[in-house]
Amino acid sequence: MTPDADDSRLRLTILGGYLGSGKTTWLRHQLFAGTFPGAHILVNEAALTPVDDTLLAAQAASMTMLAGGCACCTGKADLITALRALCDTRSRQSAEVRSTNQIVLETSGLADPAAILAAIRDDGVLVHHIRVAEIVVLVDALHAVQQLQSEHLSRAQIEAADRIILTKVDAVTDHTLAAVMATVKQLNPAAEIEAAAKGQPHALSNLPDATAYALPLLLDGMAPILPTKIDIPEDVDWAAFSVWLSALLYARGDDLVRVKGVFETPAGPLLLQAVRKSVQPPELLPAPAQDRRNQIVFIGRGYESEDLRRSLAYFTRN
Amino acid sequence: MCNACGFPTRPGHWTDAGADNAGDRLRLQMRRAQILNRLLSSYGFTARPPGHGPGFALSSFTGRTALLPDLESVWKDAARQIGAPIDPLAPRFTKTPSAP
Repeated sequence: MTPDADDSRLRLTILGGYLGSGKTTWLRHQLFAGTFPGAHILVNEAALTPVDDTLLAAQAASMTMLAGGCACCTGKADLITALRALCDTRSRQSAEVRSTNQIVLETSGLADPAAILAAIRDDGVLVHHIRVAEIVVLVDALHAVQQLQSEHLSRAQIEAADRIILTKVDAVTDHTLAAVMATVKQLNPAAEIEAAAKGQPHALSNLPDATAYALPLLLDGMAPILPTKIDIPEDVDWAAFSVWLSALLYARGDDLVRVKGVFETPAGPLLLQAVRKSVQPPELLPAPAQDRRNQIVFIGRGYESEDLRRSLAYFTRN
Repeated sequence: MCNACGFPTRPGHWTDAGADNAGDRLRLQMRRAQILNRLLSSYGFTARPPGHGPGFALSSFTGRTALLPDLESVWKDAARQIGAPIDPLAPRFTKTPSAP
């Protein structure tokens, strides 16, 4: 069965961002402002001596600390255990007394959110209980350029995001902020971009025009990523498209940073989302809007946009 | 374990979405097998619905047949047998088709 957008699974928000990007500060403010009501907070720190939990404890309804290992690699087993424990507790409660229906995971600054997403998808228990609602990534406007120029990880974090929040915007000039925003937009054209200063939302209007910073090729040889929007021709049906996309993700999954779009199927319009090789369980969207076109955005590297179109045409020609 | 198809219960593969009744599911499976065959025949494979459950039966030209639960496993098994994944962006699939 195709899961509904509004099922009873736990909503998980993954909060990522490079070291010192202001994740705890932002989360504290969000908890104070009531953005995540009743949410259970999971905090992961790579260091052995945690500090973030004491900062958050006052605002959070309930909290679990995972210290001494980044949840996307060495601490993955701990994360899975903690999430399973949460699901287990929740399953034992009746619907009326359930204390929480959402989890916020604050990752360590060294975590790749896409790896956490893949870990949850690959776990046979969690996949039935947890729905990843959003990946929020914080980008430190003050230090982003330097990090993006040298660290592959900071690029990967931005690429995986659904929503990007520029932090410390009060510490930079409008011109720098506009340039950082353009750079981030180039890395992830699909994500919404917001800004915050010390956790408080900050308007991003009236910014001067700026060109994105040139990002050098890193030693790992990653080419810059390229967004491609494909309007799916009307004669391409879901069966044909899914065969093509599954082959593409299998062969090129590591190059495809993000695939996002809506596809009309016999069961209704499906929201498709993939981060690298992992596809989130597609969701049925509510009542079909008139003349919705099938449109899929591919964000990736190592191929020509036109090749995607030609390959789809080859796979689906009748 | 499902006593019809022999595969353990698992969360559906993402490609299982989009068909919520038996008829749609069967149609989807048939149509996919048709497309798979068109692509895989040049590699010596044939794919068909196994007849009793989800997934595909993938036979190589030697007749060796494997029952695979979803599309991802089909590509995986094909890649294992060929030695490299079938890349939809390889030149053979992206060159403008020449006149027959």
